Amino acid sequence: MMAAAGLLFLIILCFIRAILGPTTHDRLVAMDTTNNMVVAVLVVLGAAYNEIIYVDVAIVYAMLSFVSTLYISRYLEVAQ
Amino acid sequence: MIYLLQVLILGGIMLSAYFVLRFNDLIASVVCLVIMSLLLSVEYYILQAPDVAIAEAAVGAGLSTAIYVIAIKKSSRWEK
Repeated sequence: MMAAAGLLFLIILCFIRAILGPTTHDRLVAMDTTNNMVVAVLVVLGAAYNEIIYVDVAIVYAMLSFVSTLYISRYLEVAQ
Repeated sequence: MIYLLQVLILGGIMLSAYFVLRFNDLIASVVCLVIMSLLLSVEYYILQAPDVAIAEAAVGAGLSTAIYVIAIKKSSRWEK
């Protein structure tokens, strides 16, 4: 639980970068880092709750966070 | 310990929802919306509802981001 709190603090730091980021690419990289850290938080909390089912949420989220990053970066590529 | 986690997550949700409304760049708003949806998914997970967390991750991260980016591509990127 303590490790999850530490990871959530790092997520807040990435979120501050996503707010302050001067360009859109900074925000996109901060969002991608936040997605991967959320997958880590889900796995750590699944170990803390001692339930094997909870890891499946992390697997589904690890697949779907890639899709959103891909869509936004493809939009940025087309827009330039 | 769980209260510290919940304070961090709920504060992050409030802050990101504020910045979704604040930004003029709509792509930055979509990035903040993805961050809000993933923090909401972690909150459902901590409240021990993994099925709702899976549905929120699927809709928030995959589907609604793709739909918003397609809509921004068809219209204007900057809010007037």
